[in-house]
Amino acid sequence: MATRYTDDDDSPVPEPETEPSPAELAHARRFAEVVDKTLLGRIPPAMSADDRALLEVATVIRATHGSVELAPGTRRSIVEDALRQAVGAAPPSYSVVVPIERSRSRRWAPWLVAGTSSAVAAAAIAMLWLRPLAPAAQSARRVELPEDQRSRPADALIGPIARDHAGDASARIDTIFADRLDGFRARRMARGGKP
Amino acid sequence: MKHVIVLGLGLGGLFAAIVISGVVLGGAAGCSSERDAAPAPTTRTAEPTDAIDQDLMIALGQAKNFHHKAKVYMTDGNLTAATAAVRQILSLGFPKGAPEADDVRNDARALLAKLLIGQGQLDEASRTVDEGIAQSQRASFFVANLHTVQGEIHEARAAALDTAGDPTKAAAARDERKQAIEAYDRSIQINEGLQKTLMEER
Repeated sequence: MATRYTDDDDSPVPEPETEPSPAELAHARRFAEVVDKTLLGRIPPAMSADDRALLEVATVIRATHGSVELAPGTRRSIVEDALRQAVGAAPPSYSVVVPIERSRSRRWAPWLVAGTSSAVAAAAIAMLWLRPLAPAAQSARRVELPEDQRSRPADALIGPIARDHAGDASARIDTIFADRLDGFRARRMARGGKP
Repeated sequence: MKHVIVLGLGLGGLFAAIVISGVVLGGAAGCSSERDAAPAPTTRTAEPTDAIDQDLMIALGQAKNFHHKAKVYMTDGNLTAATAAVRQILSLGFPKGAPEADDVRNDARALLAKLLIGQGQLDEASRTVDEGIAQSQRASFFVANLHTVQGEIHEARAAALDTAGDPTKAAAARDERKQAIEAYDRSIQINEGLQKTLMEER
């Protein structure tokens, strides 16, 4: 079997009488589906560059056979522009022709709006979810105090009470009060004089 | 058609996001306005629950005053008034969970029991001490002191039985002296345990 090559492609070109291979048949079936979808207005969002080029060719061929009709508004606009041009009026307007880039951006716009709004909604819900946890986290934080500023047993301060001094509670309360007053003042100083 | 549906969903989501954001920001603004309305709009850390606070100092100050008042009455020999002054210490309100409360009340009970012993009210003195021991949340030198006073009460009872001169009450007197020794032993045991603990902590 002779094999020929095109000028800009190294792919082998089969002879006209050669039977199509299974891969070629599969590719043809897939491309047929793409063309059908395109005719129904459901253009696949992604396809290979070769398929896209072939699809454009197929669309042009179909249009030249008169199978495609312009929308009434577009057709009227073109006719009016042509007439206006014929009588030397204002130049034709091509406002109905949508640039390719703008068309692409229009295709992505709904998704962009939907994505952005979803992200904002998710962030707002996250704020609602996390907000009640903030005070709990604060309360979980424990401030360590120096021992002299803490309320605590007076055993270390008083020591064992001898039997002879079992009734000297007055002297002991004086000692306890003086010690705790020192701690209370130190605590107030640490808080900048606030009670 | 598909784009219209997606655009509708997107706009719906955007509306929901705006509503939720409004609720969140509104809540935050509400909190801010509440804080603004407070008289002292300062940021302060939460005071630890075990800090020495004003309530504790007030209670200690009142206990101190009642003790001094009782001391003056005792100097004058007015044991009844001194007892009444010491009793008021037992009804003082201390901050919840303050360890000083137990210590001050137990010390007041010890003094109260000694005053009652001096007035011959041994049963009342014994009840005062027993209540203090029963209500104590932990072992302390003040609890040990209560056991010491309890021993003194038993000694006082034994002495009273001996003074009666009734031979049938000799056994009861011996029993009181035995209970006095047991009370002193408990006091010694508590003191030793606490001293050991304090030495280890240092």
